[in-house]
Amino acid sequence: MLTRRKLFKQSAVSAITMLALESCYSSPEIPPAPDGLGHNFEFLTPADRGILSKLTPVILAEGLPTITEQKALAIREIIVGWDIAVSGLPPLTQAEIRKLFSVLDSNFILSLTPRLLTGVPDAWDNTKEIDEFLNNWRFSDPQSLVTGNELRVGYMGMVELTMASWYANPRSWDFCGYAGPPVLW
Amino acid sequence: MHEKQNEIRDFVAEGFQQGWKHLDASSLSSDKTLETDVVIIGSGAGGGSAAEILAEAGLHVIIVEEGPLQTSKDFHMKEDEAYPKLYQESGGRQTKDRGIKIFQGRMVGGGTGINWTTSFRTPATTLKYWAEEMGLKGFSENEMRPWFEWAEKRYKIQKWTVPPNANNSALEKGCGKLGISWGKISRNVTGCLNLGYCGTGCPVNAKQSTLVTTIPGALKAGAMLISKARAEAFVLKKGVITELKCRAMTSRGNAPSGQLITIKARHYVLAAGAIGSPAILLRSGEKSLNPHGLVGTRTFLHPVNVSGAIMPFPVKGEYGAPQTSYSDHYVETRLDNKKPGFKLECPPLQPMLMATALDGHGKIHAEIMKQRPNLQVLIALQRDGFHPESTGGQVYLKSDGTPGLDYQVSRYIWEGIRDAFLAMAEIQFAAGAKMVAPVHRDAGIYGSIKEVKQVIAELPMEILKARLFSAHVMGGCPMGEDSAKSVVNSNGLHHEVGNLSVFDGSVFPTSIAANPMESIFATTAKFATDLAKGMVN
Ligand SMILES: Cc1cc2nc3c(=O)[nH]c(=O)nc-3n(C[C@H](O)[C@H](O)[C@H](O)COP(=O)(O)OP(=O)(O)OC[C@H]3O[C@@H](n4cnc5c(N)ncnc54)[C@H](O)[C@@H]3O)c2cc1C
Ligand code: SF4
Repeated sequence: MLTRRKLFKQSAVSAITMLALESCYSSPEIPPAPDGLGHNFEFLTPADRGILSKLTPVILAEGLPTITEQKALAIREIIVGWDIAVSGLPPLTQAEIRKLFSVLDSNFILSLTPRLLTGVPDAWDNTKEIDEFLNNWRFSDPQSLVTGNELRVGYMGMVELTMASWYANPRSWDFCGYAGPPVLW
Repeated sequence: MHEKQNEIRDFVAEGFQQGWKHLDASSLSSDKTLETDVVIIGSGAGGGSAAEILAEAGLHVIIVEEGPLQTSKDFHMKEDEAYPKLYQESGGRQTKDRGIKIFQGRMVGGGTGINWTTSFRTPATTLKYWAEEMGLKGFSENEMRPWFEWAEKRYKIQKWTVPPNANNSALEKGCGKLGISWGKISRNVTGCLNLGYCGTGCPVNAKQSTLVTTIPGALKAGAMLISKARAEAFVLKKGVITELKCRAMTSRGNAPSGQLITIKARHYVLAAGAIGSPAILLRSGEKSLNPHGLVGTRTFLHPVNVSGAIMPFPVKGEYGAPQTSYSDHYVETRLDNKKPGFKLECPPLQPMLMATALDGHGKIHAEIMKQRPNLQVLIALQRDGFHPESTGGQVYLKSDGTPGLDYQVSRYIWEGIRDAFLAMAEIQFAAGAKMVAPVHRDAGIYGSIKEVKQVIAELPMEILKARLFSAHVMGGCPMGEDSAKSVVNSNGLHHEVGNLSVFDGSVFPTSIAANPMESIFATTAKFATDLAKGMVN
């Protein structure tokens, strides 16, 4: 079977063919959004939050707590942290991140990059597949004639916001051996 | 905890309680027009210094600052709080191709509020280059000495004699073993508790930023501060500026609120920093402000690459003053410019900054974060702008009028970056590193100098592969004698528009080749003293 990832690797196929193929392909399953901890989300949609809940454990790997409940809580907090961080960014940067999510959840009306080119996972339930997708973007050619630097930059954006959201959170500090800001008084 | 912090005396907050003039523009519900002698745009190294000198000369000064007014009690040493509040674009500003991450302050105090306190005079070799190669007048070492002395006195710049943290002592040790010169850095602090959180705002008013020195000085002399107001553009009539248009920002500060502030002044001082100052000139869209198309050109960054090392002992580089030791070996041995020189320093290592600076995700990233307490980090700052190929970047306006920077790293500078990866690895292994990791997409972590040397020789020196950073934006309104080749003259006065000056890091015709704050203090003091004389008479 011709999977999306195989196609992604066959860079000879033109963007137009891919768009045509894409239109007869079923749309992806977006995971449900986890509990929002009472946060009033300004930027992230439920679909974005669903996708982030699957990306976060792959991006942070052993950096997350191992106990199930603690891990689930950490992921929820990271997603809240993402929303707070993105809401404070300049409007143009927010628009770019919106475009990134439209690629991730395959919303073609907003996205300029056809999903087949981007290798976004078929479904968001397979850790290995998500990791491969991240590595595809990470090691994509920043001067690609087809996608420009979009995949590499998208990767850096996703990873950076996730890292920032977690490693600024005191719950991560035990793991990275940080005793927190000095207590002055 | 924070109640006690107040006991240290947040004298800046007290000053405002006692009547220093301040308008938080985000609170405005209608447009406003003001008049003054001088309006200064920006409150950082340049803006703060200018404000005090001009206000003390008896001129009425208004300072317009895009960022918020925050004082020591608001600085909690928390990264997720500080970056969105106190940095341009929450600390996420990048060059056009996203290849270089740019840190700039955006608060009352500008970069000085969140910078790392490293204080160097402009190197004599840089001043000499400006005089000999760029024909600049008035910037010889002798002519500049009194202004450096002014800066050192006003901002309490002194030798830092406290023993270095382990991050800095590794640089000393490594350089010592290799027989490479190194030195101790002077800092603009007094009563410093050696905490290491200069980058999130000093919680005890030890750092002598403009927020706690010259801005209060100006306010005491009657100046007015407007925070959360973005200067948009100048309006000109018959070749002179008649008013400045500003947009109030929302309380969050990332977008305009809709209210406008108009300021009419006799003289206008741009001190919005490199990127910020050129952007205001570009937005104004007047030919006479940019007659030769030079505004925003020659913008330099000291592009920085990074090398991490795992030491066999705890480093805990998040604590203790950052950047207290340096090496200029690779600056001094490369002054012929055949290869670019670079300065070596040691940044602070709080976890969020570190986690986001590394490339990659998953198991390997987590493993490095786990070993974080033993991580030692060196950075190399390239001396850009001293070679015909090193022409710097260009400030441009995005679709909504906010500024960006298009900076292409030249082949010449890339070779300096490659050399710096090796130089840093050598120092780190000499200091006892078990493993060294050049921060590059295609590099791993290596156990011997032999191995890492081979890898570095082959790493592609390409944008978005090597991770690059900058906290030193300079240039964009270069000064010079020739009006066809520069934007302002060697007094910081605009060549064409008589009632406009630029007093900040954007006037430098090359990079400084050292951390730029003290250079900006000194040149601004020189310019502003001259302007005050002219305006008072
Ligand atoms: C994290 C960090 C660490 C650093 N460490 C050191 C160090 O240790 N030593 C050193 O020498 N240098 C250091 N620097 C660099 C140094 O702080 C800057 O070079 C210096 O502050 C620049 O001075 P400036 O006056 O040109 O601009 P800035 O200090 O950047 O001030 C410009 C101000 O103008 C405001 N502004 C911008 N646009 C507008 C607008 N349109 N309207 C109104 N206001 C506007 C900004 O918000 C800002 O507050 C560091 C910088 C950073 C970011
Ligand atoms: S190291 Fe000194 S100057 Fe820096 S934040 Fe701590 S007390 Fe302030």
